[in-house]
Amino acid sequence: MNPVARFLRKRWFIHLLLCTPLFYVFFPSLQNDTKYFADPAKYLLDYFGLTSTYLFVALSMITPLRKIFPKFAIAKSIAIHRRQIGVSVFIYALLHLLMYFAYTGSWSEFVKDWDKLFILSGIVGFTLLLGLAATSNNWSVRKLGGRNWKRIHRLAYLIMLLLIYHQATQEKTGYRETAKVFAPLILLQTVRIAIYGKYALKNRAKHDSTGSL
Amino acid sequence: MHIRKNKPWNLPESSATCEADFINRRRFLKAVGLGSSALLGQSLTHAATYGFPSKVNREFRADGLEPTDYDLIKGYNNFYEFSYDKGEVQDLANRGWQTEPWAIEIKGHIKRPQKIDVNELIKKAGGIEQRVYRFRCVEAWSMVIPWDGFQLSTLIDMVEPTEKARYLKFSTFFDPNSAPGQNGGSIDWPYVEGLTIEEAKNELSFLATGIYGKALPNQNGAPIRLVVPWKYGFKSIKSIVKIEFTNSRPMNTWQALQPREYGFYANVNPTVDHPRWSQATERIIGSGFLSKRKDTLMFNGYEEQVSHLYEGLNLKRNF
Repeated sequence: MNPVARFLRKRWFIHLLLCTPLFYVFFPSLQNDTKYFADPAKYLLDYFGLTSTYLFVALSMITPLRKIFPKFAIAKSIAIHRRQIGVSVFIYALLHLLMYFAYTGSWSEFVKDWDKLFILSGIVGFTLLLGLAATSNNWSVRKLGGRNWKRIHRLAYLIMLLLIYHQATQEKTGYRETAKVFAPLILLQTVRIAIYGKYALKNRAKHDSTGSL
Repeated sequence: MHIRKNKPWNLPESSATCEADFINRRRFLKAVGLGSSALLGQSLTHAATYGFPSKVNREFRADGLEPTDYDLIKGYNNFYEFSYDKGEVQDLANRGWQTEPWAIEIKGHIKRPQKIDVNELIKKAGGIEQRVYRFRCVEAWSMVIPWDGFQLSTLIDMVEPTEKARYLKFSTFFDPNSAPGQNGGSIDWPYVEGLTIEEAKNELSFLATGIYGKALPNQNGAPIRLVVPWKYGFKSIKSIVKIEFTNSRPMNTWQALQPREYGFYANVNPTVDHPRWSQATERIIGSGFLSKRKDTLMFNGYEEQVSHLYEGLNLKRNF
């Protein structure tokens, strides 16, 4: 194993990495960023939302990378941290939701826009994430049984679609930013389906295997 | 005896930071941070400066309006010609984009078509005055801005429109070398906005050349921009180079881009939601993290002055 891959196995490093966006949030106020002072709730709302999105994309790239490049040691090292990354996706989404609450200013304002698909996609996506985060512990895996657990956690694909919709609708002109954020993930998933799909079809009868995210 | 009480926003000139220092303050900090003084050498552009200091017109200042911090007005800008990022515009619009000298072309169905320098135009219009207007963005945030400028109707009278003139079509500059945002993107540059001639003649319609008693900063639409306070902010087109009096309704940029979301009128209306968010309330810029929203007012609080323009018009359909 190369030294980079070995280093990436270190838990403390991944934990620190996943916490950096929290430290970084204090920088705009230090830099006297007018956008931050103009509307802090809006600034943090966008910031945590985007952080959660980036982490979700990174997380969803791990399995396709592992399938396409089975000998890629770095992907293998990162793969052992999937649970931590997944939980942090949820935590940043939760912060995003709390900031949305602050942004709306009151409960009545908070619930008012749930009839709009833009908001609804976020709420549904968050609820699903909550379910996955709640069943992310070993106890849940044992309790549910490996196969059921996998089935439930395949909801991540639905979350991905909701997230793409949510991200794309918040753009005002076209979908360029969304395309940029999701391009690597979509590319990897496509390649994976192209390669692995063929293989899976051939072997379905033999293994009845269930792929995971 | 009449005692003039200064409002808190009415700061003495002596307390103002020298404008060059103010605009350069971040550049200075950055340059120090980078250990390089290369950035400091950039020149400062000056927009139309004729007419200052302006007189406050108290008729156009609703009670209880507390102007937004100057720093925030200058630092929180939607100006897609430079960037989609509201925090970035201030920097990008002051990297050599020249807003002086600046000429405006006025043409179409009028008796006196002309191309005129902005300072010259202000002189002809009889100088400038200050009005304090609410400013409501379609993104559900709002500011209160002390604008300096003159009433649009003054310009209309000056050029003498013919009976054929039913609309005014405004166009922004087009200069992709100075405005990086104009290189591609989904928007068909230059930015275009329009008003009916009745709307344009309304006493509220204003051509601004300054904010807070000073020439407009580049990022706020120097040297001259439209201000129509009862409409969403995007109607108040910035950095105008052309005003055309037309017979047919001009297609404004946002309507062309997203006809489902943005219309021609774009009147502030708390009862007609944007497809993605409610327009019933608004965030007040500069009010802090835990502040409550403010109820959005019909026509942004200018119902008395403008509602007669839309009698019989279905405002739900003509949003």
